[in-house]
Amino acid sequence: MTEQALTYLNANAVPSGGPAWLDERRRAARASFGDVGFPNRRVEAWRYTDLARLISKTNWTPSEQEAAAILPPEGSRNPFAAIPSWVIVFVNGFFRPDLSSLSDLEDGLEIGSLDAALAGGTKFETIFDANGPEDIAPMAALNAACARDGAVIRVADGVKLDRPLQLLHYTTSGDAKASHTRHVIELGVGATMTLLEAQVGWGGAYLADRMTNIALGEGASLTHVRVEDEDVKALHLSTVLAEIASEASYKATTLALGGLAGRLQTAIRFTGEGAHGESNTAYLLRGRQHVDTTIIVDHAVPACTSEALVKGVLDGSSTGVFQGRVIVAPQAQKSDAKQMSNALLLSRDAAMNAKPELEIYADDVLCAHGSTIGEIDEEALFYLRSRGIDEEAARRLLIGAFLSDVLERISLEAVQEALTARANVWFETAKSGSEKL
Amino acid sequence: MLEIKDLHASVDGTEILKGITLSIGDGEVHAIMGPNGSGKSTLSNVLAGRDTYQITSGSITYKGSDLTELSIEERASAGIFLAFQYPIEIPGVTTMTFLKTAVNAQRKARGEKELDAVRFLKLVREKAKQLNVRDEMLKRPLNVGFSGGEKKRAEMLQMSLLEPSLAILDETDSGLDIDALKVVSEGVNALRAPTRSMIIITHYQRLLNYIVPDFVHVLANGRIVRSGGKELAAELEETGYADITESAA
Repeated sequence: MTEQALTYLNANAVPSGGPAWLDERRRAARASFGDVGFPNRRVEAWRYTDLARLISKTNWTPSEQEAAAILPPEGSRNPFAAIPSWVIVFVNGFFRPDLSSLSDLEDGLEIGSLDAALAGGTKFETIFDANGPEDIAPMAALNAACARDGAVIRVADGVKLDRPLQLLHYTTSGDAKASHTRHVIELGVGATMTLLEAQVGWGGAYLADRMTNIALGEGASLTHVRVEDEDVKALHLSTVLAEIASEASYKATTLALGGLAGRLQTAIRFTGEGAHGESNTAYLLRGRQHVDTTIIVDHAVPACTSEALVKGVLDGSSTGVFQGRVIVAPQAQKSDAKQMSNALLLSRDAAMNAKPELEIYADDVLCAHGSTIGEIDEEALFYLRSRGIDEEAARRLLIGAFLSDVLERISLEAVQEALTARANVWFETAKSGSEKL
Repeated sequence: MLEIKDLHASVDGTEILKGITLSIGDGEVHAIMGPNGSGKSTLSNVLAGRDTYQITSGSITYKGSDLTELSIEERASAGIFLAFQYPIEIPGVTTMTFLKTAVNAQRKARGEKELDAVRFLKLVREKAKQLNVRDEMLKRPLNVGFSGGEKKRAEMLQMSLLEPSLAILDETDSGLDIDALKVVSEGVNALRAPTRSMIIITHYQRLLNYIVPDFVHVLANGRIVRSGGKELAAELEETGYADITESAA
């Protein structure tokens, strides 16, 4: 066991005393995480995001439950505030019923905290057993060992929800505080839901780790929109493990602009034919920010479609990472998989690392992947300026156009506008320089 | 309107314009003809303010002031419009959004009130109809997937909305079939006005059958080697550029 891992687990792992099945799994997770420790850049999947280095030099201790009413200093930074929704709120990783809005739930929709579900005797054995592909397994184990709370969201067979659900995380915990949350989202056969998730923080150099296990039944459809807007000094880790049954569809769109360093990792696995999985990300970075988008799609069965479009704007001396991997199993004929990373560098000191990979063992498949790294097109800039649009506005128009490919994938207009509005704030702060890093 | 005196300009240290002198009065239409590589496009880019071109000597006076002091966007707001030979495709920005941004940017720069969405829409629809630009084109990303003719019509639509004092049409006839050429020429002719001057840059005389210039200049090797009236274009069609450019060399 590495000393770093041991020290971290001693301070942050959940002590035994829970249900026997969970204690057992937490013990196993501690052992498994302890064996590998925080991955460093000598581990291929973490080559560009040296987690061991990022978390070093800090004595991490668990975030405490925050009892007071919480509002961000400059008012609510919840990008979805204007969208009528059910709302479940977590502050520093703990469920806050007083800030949530969960009345009038439709029949067949169950929303609550993991803590309460565990207290009520619900078992999540398979969920705590699932570590996902090797590349992201260390984070899954760390989360299993340390997660104290989370959301449990279940939609019964055939229930189609029109009203979205907001899953909000506010982090105020302060320097050197770590929070780990575990969410469970299950949609029954033919169920549909829109999940709007925001991660907003203003608590300094904290660590926020979240893992979400998603299981979609046959023909279910989940639209998952995320805004990752952590404190600019914070570290964040986000892991999504999605299991998608036949004819089901998972569509995720993420806007990431917060945090000092973060990794957004998604693993999609198809378990039935005719399913669709999509994970698109737009990110805006400046200063010394770092964001790693890692997407692994496992076409384990035939005739599924998947797509990942990742577009990043990098200013200052920020760094972006894209790691995409598509695995097509020998029996998974008629698979259709696309992965693309496009980065727009606004500064000479910004850097992008892209690593798209295909592992194809079937022959009748359509797979496309690629990556581009470029700068603002000087021809386009000249064209816009020659029409009287000043340089600043012209640049902004071109950057907005670059990102629109991702944001336009959100079919709900109000949600798309919410993300565009948040991206516009990024431009404004760039102009005023009030968010200097 | 425009006074160019002994203008020298270069790209990456190579001199392209080698002493151009040209005077354009209010409402005049000047054609600048010449073979490939003679400096025609350089002249239009220099006038629009493109910074990849360096002016090494000479002067450009526009409406009595030094044009070279102005940025690209300031020139646009001051009434200079360059219709591109190859209009740039900009995915993600709809033509309508672009037009509104451009019109209002210029209005703002001139201290005029910006147009609201309703008034702007009415204005665009009216101008678009005159130029045979369909509504559907306005909703598409700027120039993306436009045919050659559509791109040039979109340029004319921009020109008619921006109402420049000096329009520079850079090889507007390139890539156009005869029908598209007629539509574009009619659009240009409709915009001729006593307060609006134009520079028509073209390799071929064909365009000048439709847009009849007041003056014709022949550019060769970075200099104007001959100037004359509209009949000069017809003469060039007969004899080609070789005679003129050789005698100038």
